Amino acid sequence: MMRSAVLALVLAATGASLAVAASPADTIAARQANFKKMGGAMKVIKDELAGGADKAKMVGAAKTIAAVARAQGPLFPKGTGPGAGVKTDALPAIWTDRATFDGHAKKLIAEADKLVAVAGSGNAAAVAAQFKAVGGTCGGCHKAFRADD
Amino acid sequence: MTEGKVGVWDVPVRLFHWSLLGLFCFSWWSGENHEMDWHRQSGLLVLALLLFRLFWGLAGSRTARFAQFLRGPGDVIAYARKAGDEHPTDGHNPLGGWSVAALLLVLLTLVGAGLFAVDVDGLESGPLADYISFDAGRQASEIHEIAFKAALALIGLHVCAIGYYQFLVGRDLVSPMITGKRELAPGESAEGVRWSPLRAAIGLAVIAALVWAVSKGFHFSSAGEV
Repeated sequence: MMRSAVLALVLAATGASLAVAASPADTIAARQANFKKMGGAMKVIKDELAGGADKAKMVGAAKTIAAVARAQGPLFPKGTGPGAGVKTDALPAIWTDRATFDGHAKKLIAEADKLVAVAGSGNAAAVAAQFKAVGGTCGGCHKAFRADD
Repeated sequence: MTEGKVGVWDVPVRLFHWSLLGLFCFSWWSGENHEMDWHRQSGLLVLALLLFRLFWGLAGSRTARFAQFLRGPGDVIAYARKAGDEHPTDGHNPLGGWSVAALLLVLLTLVGAGLFAVDVDGLESGPLADYISFDAGRQASEIHEIAFKAALALIGLHVCAIGYYQFLVGRDLVSPMITGKRELAPGESAEGVRWSPLRAAIGLAVIAALVWAVSKGFHFSSAGEV
């Protein structure tokens, strides 16, 4: 009984530490998948603005952006830059100018939340304007912190 | 007509050629500098030019027509063997004709992929990208990039070929593309090319309407401008 409890604790501890110390490759893959998710969601909104204007789809996509934006910050730990041996467009400036980078991330979350709020309004012009605002935060950060491909 | 010269390229062919060069450069510049509104506009104009050239390959003057300049492998090989010695060709030579076809094909692929391309942020996209998924749009971007490199390679080849004729054969191919006229070979008699402005106008009108519809993504009442 005692033994199995210890074993369980040890397993839990190692499991937790594994989660914390995900390899740089895993972290980079996770954040890239997230960026792709956001890109796909942006496209959904853009497409709806061009054609269907389906409110539910736009709200869903906006929520995806807002949720994923929140998950991104922790996925840029030290050691996951270009030196990690994995292909990444993340520039070293992220870690030398972290405050600015985090500022961009915060701004994205704020603008994405506003997009969620407006997406279901049926006011296409307002959605379009907020879509642009969100896009602006993407572009603003990418200009400074992502390698140009 | 000047003595000893004959019309070889009609006006639409020459306008097509130089506008295409200008727009290709502008598209390149605007793409590199993320001026995507300009890039889309420019790409649509390139699409219109290419469609017009396809039309003109059926309806243009004799040297503009595919039937005249796309020759069988026998002709191409025979020409390649004696390229420099031949007297000036009436229009595209058998080798150059296929180079034109290859350029048109690559540029159509380039523009066609661009219509569906999506950037990695889902922010910028071609006018038809909303008909396909994000992943498919990203693939279209890949094709766009590959076709661009292929186009650069073909343009490089094109310029080298012109340089070859200019400096090694001593035949000027650039002036005829500007003035429309080439030197007649001694004893050669050829008629100048003739073309119909009316046909050109009709083709242009239809293509303009089509490209306009493409630019709208075939959505004629949109919920909002993005």
